[in-house]
Amino acid sequence: MNAGSTTKRNLSVSKRLATLAGAALLGFGSVLAVGWYQNGHSEEALEKALVAEQGMRTAEAVRFAGIELVLIAMDTIIDREERRIQPERVEGIKAAFDLIDTNTTELEALARILGKPQLPSTFAADLAEIRKAIDVDLKQMVEAGAPAGDFARIDDVIDAAGERMNAVLSELTEAAADLAAERIAEARAASRHALALQAIAGLLAIGSMLALIWVHGGVLRRGILGLRDSMQRIQSGELTTAVPALERGDEIGEMARSVDVFRTAAIEKLSLEQSAVADREQLERERERRGAEREEAVARIRIAVDALGRALNQLADGNLAVAIREPFEEDLDTLRRDFNNAVERLSHALSMVKENTVSIEANGRQMRSAADDLARRTERQAASLEQTSAALEEITATVKTATERAEEASHMVGETRVNAEESGRIVGEAIAAMARIEGASNEIGKIINVIDEIAFQTNLLALNAGVEAARAGEAGKGFAVVAQEVRELAQRAAGAAKDIKALVTRSGNEVGTGVKLVQATGDALGRIGANVARINEHMASIVVAAREQSTGLHEINTAVSQLDQMTQQNAAMVEETNAASHTLAQDTEKLSGLVGQFRHGEFREDRLRATAPAAISAPPAVHSGVPKAEAPARPIAGASAKPGTPRKPAPVQASTRPAPSPAKALMGKLAGAFGNTSASAHSVSASGENWEEF
Amino acid sequence: MSNAIKQSGAYLEIVSFHLGDQEFCIDIMAIREIRGWAPVTPMPHTPPYVLGLINLRGAVIPVIDMASRLGMKMTEPSERAAIIVTDINGKLVGLLVEQVSDMMTIRGEDLQPPPEIIPEAQRAFCRGIVALEKSMVCFLNLDTVIADELAQAA
Repeated sequence: MNAGSTTKRNLSVSKRLATLAGAALLGFGSVLAVGWYQNGHSEEALEKALVAEQGMRTAEAVRFAGIELVLIAMDTIIDREERRIQPERVEGIKAAFDLIDTNTTELEALARILGKPQLPSTFAADLAEIRKAIDVDLKQMVEAGAPAGDFARIDDVIDAAGERMNAVLSELTEAAADLAAERIAEARAASRHALALQAIAGLLAIGSMLALIWVHGGVLRRGILGLRDSMQRIQSGELTTAVPALERGDEIGEMARSVDVFRTAAIEKLSLEQSAVADREQLERERERRGAEREEAVARIRIAVDALGRALNQLADGNLAVAIREPFEEDLDTLRRDFNNAVERLSHALSMVKENTVSIEANGRQMRSAADDLARRTERQAASLEQTSAALEEITATVKTATERAEEASHMVGETRVNAEESGRIVGEAIAAMARIEGASNEIGKIINVIDEIAFQTNLLALNAGVEAARAGEAGKGFAVVAQEVRELAQRAAGAAKDIKALVTRSGNEVGTGVKLVQATGDALGRIGANVARINEHMASIVVAAREQSTGLHEINTAVSQLDQMTQQNAAMVEETNAASHTLAQDTEKLSGLVGQFRHGEFREDRLRATAPAAISAPPAVHSGVPKAEAPARPIAGASAKPGTPRKPAPVQASTRPAPSPAKALMGKLAGAFGNTSASAHSVSASGENWEEF
Repeated sequence: MSNAIKQSGAYLEIVSFHLGDQEFCIDIMAIREIRGWAPVTPMPHTPPYVLGLINLRGAVIPVIDMASRLGMKMTEPSERAAIIVTDINGKLVGLLVEQVSDMMTIRGEDLQPPPEIIPEAQRAFCRGIVALEKSMVCFLNLDTVIADELAQAA
């Protein structure tokens, strides 16, 4: 019980509510599950009852059909005088048989359900018998007009079979009715059972919920009431009593811990207030003691200030040998020592200044001579620049001429290309002319063929004439001679025609060769044209390059003029520097005069207090080293920064220093313009460095 | 008829022509006319050397390929080929020759008889050999060459 209560105290409020909801859900769920399960049972029983009822109905229908059959058979036997079966009776018999046949399988199924599968077998045999008796035997007997004895026998057969069928079907019907009743009773029992189970489950759920509400409600109420009491106690100032329910794990436990924090804070505040009162009293006593001490100290300080004032006056008069010899009160003695040290260091520094002034004078002279050198070199530089400028102008002119020439050459190449194209066209025409010559040769050949033909015919005629002349005998002798002449003439004509033909053939061959040669010429001209086009491209690129060169040279010119300008500026600056160095020399003289006004003393604090710790004498040694090291640098800066100096070389220096070397830029441009010349670039960088140094 | 003239030993006028590489000649008196080549109309059931028929101013005459008749290769008829129309025993016959080369007059004794070693049947074609400066010309006996055939054909 105790362990159970602790676990319950550690549950949060939401969890408690969740257990309540869980119990409710469990109760409703169990009621629903029982109802669904039992409902399924009763459904199944009702289904079976319905099947049995259906079977019962079918058996009834079949039984009525059997009775109908028997009745129709009886009627037929009665009306046998008509010697035929009436059509409506035939229809009735057929309908009855159809009904029985369609329901036979259903009946068998029903018998199986009822557990009496042997019943339909006798039924089938009876059905077959009655079918034979009515459909075949009765029909034949009626149509044949059989004797009355036969009819009586068949009537017995039909009756007996109908009875048996009827009995079987009645049995089936009863059995089915019994089964249906049984199933319905089963279903009712199932539903009653379900109702009872649901009622029990519902009651259990309600009971458990009530118990849970009582338990949780008690726990929460007790916790909240305890918390309220403790909060009221804290408000009334009673801080010693501990807050209950601190160990609880739920929201009430958290609230209790928060309240406990309030309580502890209130306790701490009380103790702090008490300690503050004690501190204030302590401070009051302290202040009174200090007032007395301060008056005493003021008296001592006045003595020290008087001594210091006297020493400072002496110092202002230029006496660097002044020193305060009487020691001060313990605290103020450091001030005296510091003063003595400061005076000593000042004296030391002034002697250093004196020495440095001498070196500054020497440096000033050096500077003067350096400035003179610089002036001379600047002049030389200006002269070189002029020469460079002149050379550049010449180069510019040359490049311009080269550009013009290249453009002219480009024009000429263009013309040449046009001429080459023209030549190509002429070659084409020549080829056409050759073709025409060939055509003419063919014409000539045809004409010569005609001449040859004529010669042949003439020859034939002459032969015939000769034949005639021969036949004429003596009388034709003269004619024979003429005929012979004509024949010879014809043969000559034929020979000449043959020669001409040969000549024409040769000429045709020559023309063919000429055509080939002309074509070769045309090809060569085409190649020349292509080469000329390439030359044209090259010329164009040369022209472009020349133009770029021209642009580059123009830039170089600009750079050189800038360089010239800067050289001029440099010259001016050199003059200024020269003047500044002169002024510097004068200022140095003045400075040494000023320094000479001070008297130097031999007093040293170390000697005064030989027993003083090394820490006191150490600082002067350290400090004296520093000015010595900086000595050569300081005076120049001091001189240039001296107020009232008319010329300031510093700004000039500032303006010249960051400027990029124009010569370097010039050489870079040259290198860019002419592409290669790495050697010159190297020398350029060297000269650029020189410039930087310079 | 012609034999009589030749036997007289007087001058003899001949017309020579080419058949292949060989040269032959015939008596000018047997010639009626020399014509250029013209297409012939073939005749059925004739020997291969009978090329066919031509129309000579209304008269239908047969044309014989002499080269084929003399056992040589058939003549390829060209524009320069000629048909020599001969009168053989009163019958007109056209002889296809490759080329009519010359018309000349020879003396009777220039005509030498063919060598005896050639068999008689073959010798009958040739009446004699005319020896010229450059070549030898066979003087054809048209009576045997053509007349027999024509007689057979008739």
